[in-house]
Amino acid sequence: MIFTTRATIGASIALLAMAVGVALAATVPFDDLREQAPLHGDTAAGATKAAVCAACHGANGIAVAATFPNLAGQSQTYLYVQLRAFKDGARTNAVMQPLARTLTDADMRNLAAHFASLPGRPAAHTAQATSRGSILFHDGDAARGVPPCQGCHGVDGRGPHPDAASTAPQPAWSTFPVLAGQNAPYVLAQLQAYHDGTRIGTSNDKVMQGVAHNLDAADMQVLADYVSTL
Amino acid sequence: MRKMLAASLTIAITASLVGSRALADSSDSARVGDIQYGNALDPTGWAPLAWPDPRGFSWLHAGMMRTPSGVLYPYPPQRDEQSSPLYRNSDWVYSGFLQIGYLHVGGDTHAEFFRQYTGWKSGIALGLFALYADNPKTGQYVEFRGSRLSGDDQYYRLRAGQYGKYKIEGFYRDIPHAVSTNAYPLWNGVGSTNLTLPAPLVPGGSTPAEVAAVANTRPRQTIGLTRQRAGLSFEDNFYRDWTGYVSIVNEQRSGDRLWGGPMFLNYILRDNGGALETVRPIDFTTTNVSMGLRDVGTVWQFQLNYTGSFFRNHKDELNYQSPFALTNVVGVPQVANIQQGQFSLEPDNDYHNLRAELSRSLKWNGQFSLAAAWGTMRQNDPLLPPVTCTGTGGIFISPSADYTFNCANWNTTAALSQQTANARIDTGLLDARITLHPSPKFGWHAGLRWYREDNKTNYLAFNPLTGQYGYIAENGSQGSIIPGQIGIFDPRNPLYASYVTQVRAIPFGYTDTVFDTGIDWRVSENNTLNLTYSFDRDQPKYRERKLVNEQRIKLGWVDRALGKATLRLDYEFAYRNGGPYNYDPYAPFYSTSLPGFVTPPLGNVAFTTDAMRKYDLSNRIEHKLHATLIYPIGDTATFSAIAYATRDDYGAAIGRQATRNRGFDVSWDWQPSPMTSMSANLGRADSSLDFTNVADNEDVTGAPGRDNPSLGGPLFPLANQWQGLDHERDYNAGLTFRRDFGRVRADLGYTYTYALGRIGYVFASPGALPITQQPFVDGVGNAFPDNHYHINTLQLGFDITFSRTFGMRVFDLFETGSFADWHYLGLQDNLVIDHRIYTDLGPQPHYSANLVGVMLNVKL
Repeated sequence: MIFTTRATIGASIALLAMAVGVALAATVPFDDLREQAPLHGDTAAGATKAAVCAACHGANGIAVAATFPNLAGQSQTYLYVQLRAFKDGARTNAVMQPLARTLTDADMRNLAAHFASLPGRPAAHTAQATSRGSILFHDGDAARGVPPCQGCHGVDGRGPHPDAASTAPQPAWSTFPVLAGQNAPYVLAQLQAYHDGTRIGTSNDKVMQGVAHNLDAADMQVLADYVSTL
Repeated sequence: MRKMLAASLTIAITASLVGSRALADSSDSARVGDIQYGNALDPTGWAPLAWPDPRGFSWLHAGMMRTPSGVLYPYPPQRDEQSSPLYRNSDWVYSGFLQIGYLHVGGDTHAEFFRQYTGWKSGIALGLFALYADNPKTGQYVEFRGSRLSGDDQYYRLRAGQYGKYKIEGFYRDIPHAVSTNAYPLWNGVGSTNLTLPAPLVPGGSTPAEVAAVANTRPRQTIGLTRQRAGLSFEDNFYRDWTGYVSIVNEQRSGDRLWGGPMFLNYILRDNGGALETVRPIDFTTTNVSMGLRDVGTVWQFQLNYTGSFFRNHKDELNYQSPFALTNVVGVPQVANIQQGQFSLEPDNDYHNLRAELSRSLKWNGQFSLAAAWGTMRQNDPLLPPVTCTGTGGIFISPSADYTFNCANWNTTAALSQQTANARIDTGLLDARITLHPSPKFGWHAGLRWYREDNKTNYLAFNPLTGQYGYIAENGSQGSIIPGQIGIFDPRNPLYASYVTQVRAIPFGYTDTVFDTGIDWRVSENNTLNLTYSFDRDQPKYRERKLVNEQRIKLGWVDRALGKATLRLDYEFAYRNGGPYNYDPYAPFYSTSLPGFVTPPLGNVAFTTDAMRKYDLSNRIEHKLHATLIYPIGDTATFSAIAYATRDDYGAAIGRQATRNRGFDVSWDWQPSPMTSMSANLGRADSSLDFTNVADNEDVTGAPGRDNPSLGGPLFPLANQWQGLDHERDYNAGLTFRRDFGRVRADLGYTYTYALGRIGYVFASPGALPITQQPFVDGVGNAFPDNHYHINTLQLGFDITFSRTFGMRVFDLFETGSFADWHYLGLQDNLVIDHRIYTDLGPQPHYSANLVGVMLNVKL
């Protein structure tokens, strides 16, 4: 009986040893931003690289067309991680990806610092506090599983305002974008991409995918319109 | 506000991450079957699917959250990303998992503790088959889970429904239970209702040596049973907040178990009487039904629920043959040699309970609830005749001392006062409760609960054929050895007119009323106090006390000021007392209460000593102390410790004196990343029980003073006192480690269990012992040999991923154990000792067994 026990143990050890020899798994492009620390680049150096960007995003960071995002006054770290996502394929765009591949990590930091330093676009007009877009932005829609945008993007849409006293694990706040003054068509396109699951290459995209999942077309439109007025 | 929003978003995202809804087991009012589906191969029931998601707890932050008391939440299980459309353009998506392979069991595979609740078997085994399909647009889902180790160890469950609307569940499972794997029953017919002696043994005509010779040739058998459970449930949110539900679960228990038999006189009369360990059949069906309605509104909540339980025993009796001859100690010639016996097995019985609950939300974040329930338990099986003997039983000494009886007057149901049991117990419950939280820092609650158990059973043991009362003892055999010990009272016969025997069923019942109130007060940001008081008024019927009161006060303190640690201290004090104690409240149910009973000149032998206090009714002082420390270590580990002590002191000269319980558990959990987790735990528990008793002075049972119940009197002299000291010490330890290397995942688990039991005793003089002759007295000592139970289990497994679809699991489970119990001492040499027949040799003293499994994993 004991012999049988030892025999089975021996067989199992052989099998287990075989198991250990198997190689590790492959990876897919995905940027986990949860431990991303705030970044700082060289503003002046970034300005020297910004000429190409100006063709679409404007020399002062205000886009030449509303389908492109405004970069002026945006979070420096957000801009950097987006450039990095375009470069490594975590975010796809036919124009941005080839451009980003030519940039070094320092270039991306510096460009991000440059555009972040520019003054953002002032509000186009006063937002209606009672509008559907305002309600969704500030209160969400609990019955439909839509959280309020202000939780991460700030009550004024100018980025998050973290509680420094909190001891709970903190999000990578600096990677969350400023929404105030952003172009409505661009915001709408991004919400649609989150909703459809075509922009999912970063951990923040995963958050937004969950947020946008329960938004319908009208919701997305009113939200895009609303943030553009902030 | 931002913190709250961020937290709510975290939860929302986390909920979507835990998308493998097939993993979700929940408890609700329409639960059917078992809370947990699993087996020894996988106690959790979903281990192959439960590897932590490397993406962690939340997309918002990389670290793990802790519970309010500081315990790390576990990483969520991996979401199955391979959901595929059920068919082209279908809104339904599905995912599945199949684990099937080969198990090889080696070593002492029949060791009782290795397979006590497991049907280990070498061969093909289904580790897990899980299939999940859902329609995200409609919220409809279907889920199936199953596992099969062997024919009597398997489970299958199907669930379907629509979230927020309805759900239906069906299940089937077999659970084995090995009672003994080391049994050598003497009888043929094990598992049936008739145990017959194998040739050449002759009922009532075999010597102990002849029985022992046959017993040594009997084959080893496994005694045990299998539970086959199946159930169906349905729940429907049919109108606004109203939900209706119904469930039915049927359990069939089939097999056999060790059982008793006659046990009389052999210790005091060599080569006479008998004690037989038989085997009885198990053939039970229990059907549980639950149905109800509930309304969960924002202000009012209501629930009406019916539960029913219907037990059916398909084998009503156990008949057995006894090989030994009986000899009457006086009287010539012998007139009876009872050779067989019969047990009445459990009767069919029904249980019904109807419960209504109503709750209303109050201001100050309060709640008021009221519950009322009525239940009844009934059994009305046909009764069996008092005996199965034939001919004449008892002893004939002389015409004036004729202790014989005619079996024909007792082996028929005509000998019963009623043909069916007509037993019934009704229960009633009223429960009112209120809670208020006028501020976040202060809460108050109070409750009043009334419960009654009213036993309406009234059986009189009266034989209309003979006009006698009582019940023939041991199928007539005891009265065929010692004259007069037949067990009957007969007011017309001087031989039985003073016989003390129970003649009525005692309808035990009680009424219990409990009031409790308490407060929770947050004294400061990091300190909370709570205080509760309860008063329990118990009014038992036909017990030694008619009133027992217990007051209990509990003080708790929760402190979070020690860094990030949570410390909780609880102290509880209880004092129990009550009304006057009557050491013999059962007289109305004994023959002494019947007309015609003749009190003997020396009086009746005292029922017990008046110093006896039964432990559930005696005065008692109780102290309880409980401490819990949860100490976060960095962001990835938690140390927790629990220590406790309980002390009970009873106010009794004879009876339970004191109990003590104390112990600790410490554990360390570490999860530095979703890829790695480790834990270790260690615990010890000590308990002791101190009890005293006094043996009656056999010399006085026929002499003056026998009716004196006083401790220190002639019947219960102080010299006959003895004291028992029961100590138990348990240790447990465990270690787990899991690591995800990518294509290879490893898991390691080790558990250690050790239990030591020691029963010591002291006695004032040999008069306290059941046998007072030498050399027994000199060999008594002061303790039984130690009992111990010792098990080590080590498991190591690897999961290997070959592709997105295929993988493999290889694992090894090694278990070793040892066991010693003095109850089994000496049986290894012979299972037959004089007129005593034993069946079970007990668990193996030492064993080691090993299980190897190679399983194919397929993602469907």
